[in-house]
Amino acid sequence: MQSGGGAQMAPFGMGVVPSVLSEGAHEEKGETAQMSNFIGAIAVTDLVKTTLGPKGMDKILQSQSGSIMVTNDGATILRSLLIDNPAAKVLIEISKTQDDEIGDGTTSVCCFAGELLREAEKLLLLHLHPQTVVSGYRKAARAALAKLEALAVDHKSDREKFRAELVKLACTTLSSKVLAQSKQQFAELAVDAVLRLEGSTNLDLVQIIKLPGGSMRDSWLEPGFLLQKKLGVGQPKVMKDAKILVANTAMDTDKVKIYGARVRVDSLTRVAEIEKAEQAKMLAKCERIAAHGCNVFVNRQLIYNRPEQFFSSKGIMAIEHADFDGVERLALVTGTSIVSTFDDPGSVELGRCDKIEEIMIGEQTVLRFSGCSAGAACSVVLRGANSQLLDEAERSLHDALCVLSQTAAVESRMVLGAGCAELAMASAVDEAAAQEQGKIALAMDAFARALRALPGIIADNAGLDAAELVGTLKAHHARGEHHMGLDIEKGVVGDVQALGITESFKLKYAMVNSAVEAAEMVIRVDDVIKAAPRKREDPYGRH
Amino acid sequence: MVGAIAGGAGGAGESEARGASQKSKDVRLSNITAAKGVADAVRTSLGPRGMDKMIQVANGDVLITNDGATIVERMNVQHPAGKMLVELSKAQDSEAGDGTTSVVVVAGALLSASLSLLNMGIHPTTISEGYQLALDKALEVLQQMSTPVDLSQKDAILQAASTSLNSKVVSQYSSLLAPMAVDAVLKVARKDGDGNDVVDLKDVRTVKKLGGTIDDTELLEGLVLTQEASSSAGGTTRVPNAKIALLQFQLSPPKTDVENNVIVQDYNAMDRILKEERQYLLGLVKRIKASGANVLLIQKSILRDAVTDLSLHFLAKLKIMVVTDIERDEIEFISKSLGCSPVASIDALAPEKLGKADLVEEVSLSGGEKVVRFTGVSTSTAPTASILVRGSNNLVLDEAERSLHDALCVVRSLVRKQFLIAGGSAPEIEVAVQLAQYSKTLAGMQSYCVRAFGDALEVVPYTLSENAGLFPVEIVTELRRRHAEGEANAGINVKKGRVTDMVQEKVVMPLLVISSALRLATEAVRLILKIDDVVLTR
Repeated sequence: MQSGGGAQMAPFGMGVVPSVLSEGAHEEKGETAQMSNFIGAIAVTDLVKTTLGPKGMDKILQSQSGSIMVTNDGATILRSLLIDNPAAKVLIEISKTQDDEIGDGTTSVCCFAGELLREAEKLLLLHLHPQTVVSGYRKAARAALAKLEALAVDHKSDREKFRAELVKLACTTLSSKVLAQSKQQFAELAVDAVLRLEGSTNLDLVQIIKLPGGSMRDSWLEPGFLLQKKLGVGQPKVMKDAKILVANTAMDTDKVKIYGARVRVDSLTRVAEIEKAEQAKMLAKCERIAAHGCNVFVNRQLIYNRPEQFFSSKGIMAIEHADFDGVERLALVTGTSIVSTFDDPGSVELGRCDKIEEIMIGEQTVLRFSGCSAGAACSVVLRGANSQLLDEAERSLHDALCVLSQTAAVESRMVLGAGCAELAMASAVDEAAAQEQGKIALAMDAFARALRALPGIIADNAGLDAAELVGTLKAHHARGEHHMGLDIEKGVVGDVQALGITESFKLKYAMVNSAVEAAEMVIRVDDVIKAAPRKREDPYGRH
Repeated sequence: MVGAIAGGAGGAGESEARGASQKSKDVRLSNITAAKGVADAVRTSLGPRGMDKMIQVANGDVLITNDGATIVERMNVQHPAGKMLVELSKAQDSEAGDGTTSVVVVAGALLSASLSLLNMGIHPTTISEGYQLALDKALEVLQQMSTPVDLSQKDAILQAASTSLNSKVVSQYSSLLAPMAVDAVLKVARKDGDGNDVVDLKDVRTVKKLGGTIDDTELLEGLVLTQEASSSAGGTTRVPNAKIALLQFQLSPPKTDVENNVIVQDYNAMDRILKEERQYLLGLVKRIKASGANVLLIQKSILRDAVTDLSLHFLAKLKIMVVTDIERDEIEFISKSLGCSPVASIDALAPEKLGKADLVEEVSLSGGEKVVRFTGVSTSTAPTASILVRGSNNLVLDEAERSLHDALCVVRSLVRKQFLIAGGSAPEIEVAVQLAQYSKTLAGMQSYCVRAFGDALEVVPYTLSENAGLFPVEIVTELRRRHAEGEANAGINVKKGRVTDMVQEKVVMPLLVISSALRLATEAVRLILKIDDVVLTR
């Protein structure tokens, strides 16, 4: 069913289809298009689905340059894939969206969309019209989400309880990641970090520092801010009650930035005078900086010897060449802004913190800013055996922080995890399907099957008998026991409430919504047109 | 309907799972094989009778070493799992400094053990959890075996340093190097704000100079610089009662940041400019003299000349010794060692900024190399130590430095965590025996995994005796028997070729080295076990 370009450029006549597409363009129609879309989407799903759940596996991503990355994060895997299939790209896209909005559940959303498409493929073989499938899916999604809302619980009012629930939530998120081995520790750590934010979702305040060496259990949460820099020679090593000026300014000389500017003199004495003048200018700048009343000066750029000496003599701690990220964050956490001109000391709000000191972590010396004015700020120091481990730990922790901050600040409702929510939704869809007449009920049944496939994958990954477990769970949920789910550790069906596995309501809601939308989009397609690749001129004129 | 749904989903899942599991098995096998390959490469360098490796770097340079971290780093490993072991060795290097070979060997052994567990059909994550359980128990056993040590017990610390050095190329000099390492580290050890002992190895400087033999290596009181004293124009090279100034400005004609042109219009002007230059420099030099400084250390400058022939000439006249080309990152160490503060402009040069030393002298070492040595330094600031390493060729010199670094790290580990444990693979075999017993109290698959973990650790005594030319099976079984009888410190005495009490033989090492090796190896192995796919990406 393909109509290519040039081959059919025959004169018009009976039975000859004229090509309307330009040469090199490519079109797939009808069933072929649908087939290739389904195959692409399902292939991507199969690739990531082994990472799902507490016994999910990791993948090595090996780039062409040879660098490697070990990860369990669906979004990271999908983002790095080389894909040339439009439907697969849709799945990658929704996974990315999930990552941006929620931060976790990136694999689940892709898997669910994939399962929906797998079911849709079967329905199309039964001669259901794609539009019927779509409207069935929509109806089913409505029923499922209504059930999800009904099941969601909110603990926000009770502070103690809310914290405990957040820890559970963090544990669930972390249990499928590399941090699972010490998930309780990291869950507490993430919750502490998020609660410090007090309702903000600005994760910039949580700084993650990775230092190879030690083991993951040596990781800790540092209330305050860490900067991987050294102090100038001869300056105070400890500063109490610090008043911090954060700047981005050249500390060599304020050069005349006009191209070709030069001075012409006729004697060396004059050169010496100009040099003196330049130095005086610099010193004046230092004086102006000191006039702000700061006792700590952090500069984005280098501080040369002379200004450094000046600051030492004034007892000002000068930190040079702090990286951009570090400076911005420092300004944020100490409650100041980055300044570049120093003419108006009154207008600059100095950053405050109680104490700055050098501490040693492993072989590294870092500066610790404790008691910062933005109390929300904190640093997480991650230790681990190698950089792959640290990178993955950072990604996992970031996922947990995202979910927690969203839950703490935006949407505090939670639902039960471990396949509970999926099965409850599926049973709601079943009930709704029973009321429907016609083909649309088939589509709704298919939707329920796709929902049940998710716990199936989790059980499969753990090497358990998925069909048996999901079947048992289905019966429990049909009886209205909506707290039953998978106990992966024991390999049986268990009470999830007692196991303490919770998930964010927002995550599940977004998962169902965006997976349905993505599936719908792919199902409705009946024609794929690939534009002709842009012609490259052969630079040598050869053919 | 139920059956149809569940069966349908399960059926599809199963057939794919089987296909996928074949693939993930292959991936796992390839990862484990690669990692074992790396481990096997360094295996033979373990222990006092371990052999060295000659590594030819791509540019043709040759390197001879016994240091695990160095070997794996230079091996240019391509396989992703192999790379992880390389990183693992590096992490051990930064954490404990020694045991970089053991950590790789242990990781390799744990991986081969997991291979047989996987073949039994145990799920990788279950193995991974079992290993963690075993590790926790192992650390407990190690803690029990170890004995606390005080920093004043120099003998014990010395023994630990010797143990580390004994497995190196320079082992015949261990009686010389070990005390040096101990003295150097203890000199720079200090208490931090929380009362913990901390050591920053940046305070210990090792300076390499070709020539002489390792015997000539020495720990210096004070400071040694590899830069030579300027001898042009008859500069002084020996100054008693030195007052040292650390200069960050230049003794050369002025130069502005804005480009400048001196315009010479006639012949007279040229003369005048030359005269002015002399005067300008003379002025600077006189002010230096006035401050009382008689030794100048001048920082390198990229923008202009640090000194000129003319200024050197003036300084020589005034009997002021000059050492140039000090790097900016050396400044802190020098100012710490000499108790002087850097001076960035002539106006800031004041007597209180100078450091004092009884003697500053440029000495020629055997082999024609020269160093500047500062003795009799009165340090009121944080102490530092310098070690001058000598060797007859670059290969020996580099290896000596690496070995010394390991020894320094060993002592530092002791300062950090003040526990000693027996060496000679006694801890490994003790952990193996204890874990075997512990596994009997467990039920299910965990028991198997814990047992396998313990058995895997026997690779260390096995390799150690193999490398020493002993009969491994005999030694390992003998060790097992002795440990089962409660002799926790029984280990391999490589010199005598039999099993003896290691503490009596004074073969000890810091607890941190072995505990960190086990922890890091387990962590890396767990990461590798969890991988089921290698995906090529951009």
